[in-house]
Amino acid sequence: MQTEILKAEHLTKSFRLPLKQQKTGEKFKLAVNDLSFSAYSGEIFGLLGPNGAGKTTTLRMLATLIKPDSGDAFIDGVSVVSDPYGVRGRIGFLTSELRLEDFFTPDYLFDFFSELHGVPHDVREQRKRSMFARFGIDEFANVKMANLSTGMKQKVSIVISIVHDPDFIIFDEPTNGLDVLTAKTVTDYLSELRGEGKSIILSTHIFSLVEKLCDRVGVMIDGRMVALDTLAALTKDKSMEEKFFDLYSEVTGGRS
Amino acid sequence: MKAVLTIIKKEFMRFFGDRRLLLTTLLLPGIVLYAVYSALGAVFANVMQDSSVPVAYVRNMPESLGEAIDEIFDLRDTDLTDEEIKSQLVEGDADIFIIFPENFDDLTVGSDVPDVSIYYNSAQTSSSLAYSSVVALLDAYEQSIANVFNINSGSDRYDLADSSDVSANILSMIVPMVLIMLLLSGCVAVVLESIAGEKERGTIATLLVTPIKRSYFAIGKILSLSVIAVLSGISSFLGLILSLPNLMGGMEVDFSLAAYGVLDYFGLFLVVMSTVLVLVSLLAIVSAYAKSVKEANGLIVPVMIIAVICSLVSMFVASPPMGLYFIPVLNSALCISTLMAGTFGIVPFLITMGINIVCAALLAVLLGAMFNSEKIMFNRA
Repeated sequence: MQTEILKAEHLTKSFRLPLKQQKTGEKFKLAVNDLSFSAYSGEIFGLLGPNGAGKTTTLRMLATLIKPDSGDAFIDGVSVVSDPYGVRGRIGFLTSELRLEDFFTPDYLFDFFSELHGVPHDVREQRKRSMFARFGIDEFANVKMANLSTGMKQKVSIVISIVHDPDFIIFDEPTNGLDVLTAKTVTDYLSELRGEGKSIILSTHIFSLVEKLCDRVGVMIDGRMVALDTLAALTKDKSMEEKFFDLYSEVTGGRS
Repeated sequence: MKAVLTIIKKEFMRFFGDRRLLLTTLLLPGIVLYAVYSALGAVFANVMQDSSVPVAYVRNMPESLGEAIDEIFDLRDTDLTDEEIKSQLVEGDADIFIIFPENFDDLTVGSDVPDVSIYYNSAQTSSSLAYSSVVALLDAYEQSIANVFNINSGSDRYDLADSSDVSANILSMIVPMVLIMLLLSGCVAVVLESIAGEKERGTIATLLVTPIKRSYFAIGKILSLSVIAVLSGISSFLGLILSLPNLMGGMEVDFSLAAYGVLDYFGLFLVVMSTVLVLVSLLAIVSAYAKSVKEANGLIVPVMIIAVICSLVSMFVASPPMGLYFIPVLNSALCISTLMAGTFGIVPFLITMGINIVCAALLAVLLGAMFNSEKIMFNRA
């Protein structure tokens, strides 16, 4: 039996709609609706769903950037609601809305975030060397972020998000906007991390990524988890893509 | 607390590592102020020297005044009719037209009161000045004929204020306002970019997922931005002070800043630093609330207006009641004013420092709470 590293219990989050969208009388949009699931150590958990399904909102709650309206989630037993600082030290979070200052170099940013996470100096230097080499950042270590390519920026963001070597990693659409080569570097690295015993939860709307990488998959539609199983079970008789369309028409009754 | 240092170090790296930012925030304000005020001074001096002799027409010039009037005016022949001369006044070709009664000198000796008509055009500066000098001349002449007593007619030095007193008085009027305005513009320049800008670009959110306490983050930001704002303020202040002799060139006031001692400057520095803490925290809160730098620029207008009013009030309050020292920013303006005037008191100073520091601390706590609020930090929708 694997250890449960993430346990989400009845997570619910709604957002106030902008005035223009309140015409129908609804003031709030339920982005995540009573979501409960678990993830286990040493696995890659994929959160699959269309745009607006609530994937990013779920991950932001797990990363303590926003608080759930109700429900709670525990990462390694630490509550995101009552001990957000404890959670922040245990996780690595990557999402497109977290950016790095253009003015600084990858080298400086690595040091800066290591200091914020309290990483000892010698550990930091050693990790920096190996991670920069792993992602080919070493050549650009002293180039300002502003002058790096999109792919290189994303690689730096990934490296920075895990400067403190967390055991639980939350990646929101990690390969978005990357070319196939860079995307492969990222997915290969995620496999490597799993090999080291890390747990990863990632969100995506790319079926092939799920099929290639994930051990277990949760399918989200309209803020709810409509299916949750191992990849093998979900794709037993059809591809992930076909399975998703089946689920989608079941939930929405055929409307698109 | 190490996290606070890390944040401060980063802010300094950001600022001092950026040559462009250094130039626009530290060097330019001082240089621009110096250049503008020096140029202004040069223009004033020019205007004062260049003012040409006013053109005057005089009918029935009395002997007693002829020499004096000739000395200050460019006298023209009076072949023209009154109407022609008046139209010249309207056109600005002539500055003044004086009509004395015939036998003015005889009349003044007798019991009659003669009429002197002076036509001028108040829309023309040179004409107004000419009018004032004629009136002054005639007043003086009138007094000399019917003299009852003299005022300050000897060659003694009657105004006992020495040059540094005058300069202290002038400085105590203008320095608080100018200094607070300059500090404010320094604060605006750095705070909006560093907080609203970072929020807009999504770089603050990256820090919010690290385990650093949000209050430490707020303190680190406020302290580092305050230092930068003070440096910017010092640059502007130096530019201003160094240009004062040029600006006031014509007024013969000795703006020697050596009139103030080390303690005065130390006091000034403390007041300035505490004021900047308040201003930076206030602007930081507005910036954190705003969705973008652009919005922040609009939202800070009320803060700017209040600061301007506070600094203006200090110009008109001669002996401020103690209660005023409990109002942030206004207390700073008053403190600076009394420092410059040499009427500085230790109690108001202590109240000011205390109030400003407490105020900045409370605002820092509020900023920390704002960093903690997802509604404020992620309100981009």
